[in-house]
Amino acid sequence: MLLRAEDVQMDFGGFRALSGASLDIAQGEIIGLIGPNGAGKSTFFNCLVGDLTPSGGRVLLNEHDVTRATPEAHARLGIGRSFQVPATFEDLTILENVMVGAFLRHARVREARAQAQRVLELTGLDALADHKAKSLGTPGRKRLEIARVLATEPKLMLLDEALAGLTPVEVQQAIELVRRIHRSGITLVIVEHVMEVILTLAERVVVFNQGKVIARGTPAEVVNDEAVIDAYLGHSHARRHGKHA
Amino acid sequence: MRRAGWVALAAVLLLFPLSFNNPYYEQLGSLVLLAAISASAWNLIGGFAGQVSVGNAVFFGAGAYMPLLFYKLWQVSPLLGFPAGIAVSLVIAVVIGIPTLRLSGHYFSMATIAVAELIRIVVSNWDFLGAAIGLTGPATPRGWWDLVFRSSNPYYYMFLAVLVTLLAITYAIQRSRFGYDLRASRGGERAARSLVVPVSSYTLYAFMLSATFTSLAGSLYVVKFGFIDPGSGFGILVSINMVLIAALGGAGRLFGPLLGAAILIPLQTETNNLFGGGGTGLTYILYGGIIVLIARFEPGGLFEMWDRLRAKWGSHAA
Repeated sequence: MLLRAEDVQMDFGGFRALSGASLDIAQGEIIGLIGPNGAGKSTFFNCLVGDLTPSGGRVLLNEHDVTRATPEAHARLGIGRSFQVPATFEDLTILENVMVGAFLRHARVREARAQAQRVLELTGLDALADHKAKSLGTPGRKRLEIARVLATEPKLMLLDEALAGLTPVEVQQAIELVRRIHRSGITLVIVEHVMEVILTLAERVVVFNQGKVIARGTPAEVVNDEAVIDAYLGHSHARRHGKHA
Repeated sequence: MRRAGWVALAAVLLLFPLSFNNPYYEQLGSLVLLAAISASAWNLIGGFAGQVSVGNAVFFGAGAYMPLLFYKLWQVSPLLGFPAGIAVSLVIAVVIGIPTLRLSGHYFSMATIAVAELIRIVVSNWDFLGAAIGLTGPATPRGWWDLVFRSSNPYYYMFLAVLVTLLAITYAIQRSRFGYDLRASRGGERAARSLVVPVSSYTLYAFMLSATFTSLAGSLYVVKFGFIDPGSGFGILVSINMVLIAALGGAGRLFGPLLGAAILIPLQTETNNLFGGGGTGLTYILYGGIIVLIARFEPGGLFEMWDRLRAKWGSHAA
């Protein structure tokens, strides 16, 4: 198992944001995390990348306990993450942004630049390499953030609503990019509200509600799950997609 | 910058004092370079690392006091006080930087103001450092090592050598991993950490380098003027001058501080000449006005304005 989260709990003072979430991620999978706002999926996400230290439970990467490891240690071990609100380095060029990620595995500037250029080609940003990051719109920034994580050569990438706020055409382009990344051998965990993305990409889906995992399974199983329909999708969604008897 | 631009800049800087043969312009040139050194040193922490120090005067003051203190105590060349000023500045940078650079928000800026003001008050009341009167250097030179010259030109070339060294170091940093990571830290600390950028330690190194060259600027100031008091060493205006000059030209730009100094120092000198001693308050009004104008219209400084105009002209021409 590449990553295993066992009974992860997260308390903020007296408020329990996450109560006993577990997840096994095998090498090469694409897993979707969904749920309504405040369900605990971003908290769980942040526990997996080391941004939050769980109040209980364990997170294991290749059977090594990383529960209390820092975000930096997670990145070194091959876990990369994107941010819900793109956190690009505005005054750096697109190439320089990606080079900062590439420095993790390539200490020399020349090698980091070459790695960054390879990633820019993969993500379709190579034509804009010398533009400042602040010249990009939302889709470009989200793409750049993915590129920056890719440059760290991760084994596992966690994307936090990386496709939110995009137009349908941009979503299709982004889906194609995610597929390309997956084909290169990287395991993916996607937190997403856009159901189209989850249904198209994910092999397994985990559904959160009120800090608990309420369902897990293939996309087809999850969209037909009564608890998921009640808590998140709604009966109109189920009727519209003809999934619910 | 293109090769022709480099050559033109080098020619202007090298020939400036020789072109006028006028003590006023020679003095003005050396003041511009001195201000450019201080502001370029500030640029390392404020411009590239994005941590706005409003108390760099503490390093300037330490660098200014140590050479004259060495002279007062042991009658040695003020030159020997240069490394002592740098050592004191590095200690202060580490003491301020380690606890505050880890914090987000404006704690670092507030801490630098507080420490600079605290030290100014202590020095103003400490007889060992001349209290409010300050310290003076050798009035007549005992040899070249006292660095007392009648003309401003030797100082001008001394300052130019230090400025060129500082800009060369800054240029090398900009193109190194340290430089990219430093600029990334300024862009977003959380994102930088997620890419394993050692934000705290790199920012501290930048602050220490900034302290080193600001201290050197203080030492150069004092060998030129032969005198230092708490206000001209540790005063808040000394710090604001550095911030303002760098911001005017372009914080985070290699030549931003030099451009800012080339504009602001002659402006200051002229207002002082026009209004004399009674016009001291005008300096504050001038600073306030410039701060408002930069913040409102051109937060990226004149270099950014130039880039924008060039892009606009380029798109019109295309």
